Amino acid sequence: MTGHEPGAVTVDAAARRTFGAIAEHLIPAAHGMPSAADIVDDARLGFVLSARPDLAGPFLAALRPELGDDPDARLATLGRDEPSNLAALQLVLVGGYYTDKRVRELIGYPGQLAIEVRSWEIPPYLEEGLIDAVVARGQVWRDPATGNRAISEGTPKTYAERYWSTERRPEGGHDGRDGS
Amino acid sequence: MATEPADVLIIGAGASGGVVARRLAEAGFSVVCLEQGDWHDKGDYRGIHLDWELTARKQWATSPNIRGLPEDYPIVETDSPVSPLMFSGVGGSMLIFAGAWPRMLPSDFRVRSLDGVADDWPLTYDELLPYFRQTDRDFGVSGLAGDPAYPPDPEDPPLPPLPIGAAGLKVARAHTKLGWHWWPEFNSILSAPYDGRRPCVQRSTCQSGCNEGAKASTDLTHWPKAIAHGARLVTGARVRRIDTNAKGLATGATWIDRDGKEHLEPAKVVVLASNAIGTPRLLLLSADDRHPDGLANSSGLVGKRLMMHPFANVAGLFDEPLMSWQGQFGDLIESLEFYETDERRGFVRGARWGLAPTGGPINAALPSRAGTQVWGPDHHLHVRSHLGHGANWGLFAEDLPDEANRVMLSDSVTDTSGIAAPEIHYAMGENARKMLDFHIERATESLLEAGAHSIEVDRLMRYSGWHLLGTARMGDDPATSVLDRWNRTHDVPNLYVVDGSSFVTSSGVNPTSTIVALALRAAEHMVETRFEQQVPV
Repeated sequence: MTGHEPGAVTVDAAARRTFGAIAEHLIPAAHGMPSAADIVDDARLGFVLSARPDLAGPFLAALRPELGDDPDARLATLGRDEPSNLAALQLVLVGGYYTDKRVRELIGYPGQLAIEVRSWEIPPYLEEGLIDAVVARGQVWRDPATGNRAISEGTPKTYAERYWSTERRPEGGHDGRDGS
Repeated sequence: MATEPADVLIIGAGASGGVVARRLAEAGFSVVCLEQGDWHDKGDYRGIHLDWELTARKQWATSPNIRGLPEDYPIVETDSPVSPLMFSGVGGSMLIFAGAWPRMLPSDFRVRSLDGVADDWPLTYDELLPYFRQTDRDFGVSGLAGDPAYPPDPEDPPLPPLPIGAAGLKVARAHTKLGWHWWPEFNSILSAPYDGRRPCVQRSTCQSGCNEGAKASTDLTHWPKAIAHGARLVTGARVRRIDTNAKGLATGATWIDRDGKEHLEPAKVVVLASNAIGTPRLLLLSADDRHPDGLANSSGLVGKRLMMHPFANVAGLFDEPLMSWQGQFGDLIESLEFYETDERRGFVRGARWGLAPTGGPINAALPSRAGTQVWGPDHHLHVRSHLGHGANWGLFAEDLPDEANRVMLSDSVTDTSGIAAPEIHYAMGENARKMLDFHIERATESLLEAGAHSIEVDRLMRYSGWHLLGTARMGDDPATSVLDRWNRTHDVPNLYVVDGSSFVTSSGVNPTSTIVALALRAAEHMVETRFEQQVPV
């Protein structure tokens, strides 16, 4: 028996073949994308099962030979009788596929990036007047004293009016250095 | 084991426990806290790693039943369509919460008077306002002042708003056309350096821990200051019961360490800050001959009136790339257009909407919240149409209190220390179902107006029990409430509950801002009345 050892989990040759057939069935090569059978190799399987060792048991259960050679029939049986094993199989598959560098490049996903927040800049919604439109429609909250939508006399009708009348900066009232 | 009783023993080092510990320690109280979880370093979180979307579904899942860590306790939830979510550790559930920080609204405190349902609170929005302001400063809240959904407030949020992203801008423009309210969300996530912490980098992994420390949690914002003032925080400490004496006063707590050894922590005052599942569990576990129905339970309401905010998700898909895997998960924008009661809709009260990012490729590839899944050649088209092309309105419906929705003790399931697990019984009420149905229709209109080509709806999301509320409600009448207006139990004069258990009604907004404001108010009252506080001799 040829054993594959992705991570600490041994996937025997039969299970590996079954997984390959299911990978080809669920995520085939199409629309310029490679098939999961080509992408999710032992290294990718090892990555997923190392990150999620709890998946090994249900993943291997979903690949057991008793469920037959037909991927459609296997998936139907799992969906009907063993949904948690099916979910594990799907997660291992997509986990291996979408953590692959080439696949990520092809779908235009660079990962979760660190993007600087430029909080000193005036946001586009202020420049577009979208906030002014909200402010101009008046108060939204319900006044418990009357049970009706609040009427606040003298409230600003534009965002600029609120700020410049009280000499506040649009980006907030504190400089952020004092957390007390 | 301590020999001298602490002035105050706090059980739970999360949001409310951290707030109370810091304030009391700063005021000179000797403070001890027992926390069943541990400290976590920013480097522990997987958001900066390739396995983020995999580990977020297990090791960093929001459900303790899925995580199954030794410090978690299981929750029997077979009789509930919604799973409670929480985290055990210093900082508590704030470590995995989204960070949205709306305040409750004035009408939320007067539900009985205004709408003839549920109950009024024993306090008002105006009474809580100074504590909202202080906790906003303490946690570091980013937001845009002047939201007309709230009474005018001369004090601005301490930090400018976070970006609303391309998706937020699209929807904001749509609401301008519709004439509907929207506003940049208030988040307890830093938009600029503040109090020694770094700002948000829009990584969008907020719900599995913030690698920057930009999202507020009391392990960053409160515990270091409390400890600097002498507070003692014991981790890996699982409380088994609150102990009392013959005079009916709390004397401390019995707890179990990681090795299974039992300890007694004596205290003059005990504060429960263990969330609205953990707190009633402990009160019920503390039953004895003098308190056969559980501690502080002469009203019979301990554990009852559980509220969790039934939650629906309405996703819009757009042709244009929105890069919507990025951005604070706390929320980009909110809408309170349909928050207040309009009886013509066929229900009372309302829901808050929060527009959120949509996750990474594994999330796009797996069956969606709405149940959609596509395999075969078109799988690739499905992922391309979902990844970075979506905008999600999350709809939080006000959950009216119902005594049938409750927390009990399981007679068959225990935690790893052998202590009875909580068992919840919960059903969504008819008012909330009608409310969610209405709001789903309106949120669909919103996204279609914004240009969405298709809409996917999850009408009641199972893993959405973030907001645990109401199981030890406050009130002025001991016959109909567990706590008084200062969060002290009516029955045990030196026992307080400062977590979301105290909520009389749920409101329709994310509750953490209100929980911590109430906790700070309770702590201030404890400081002011320290010489009148009855304590065991």
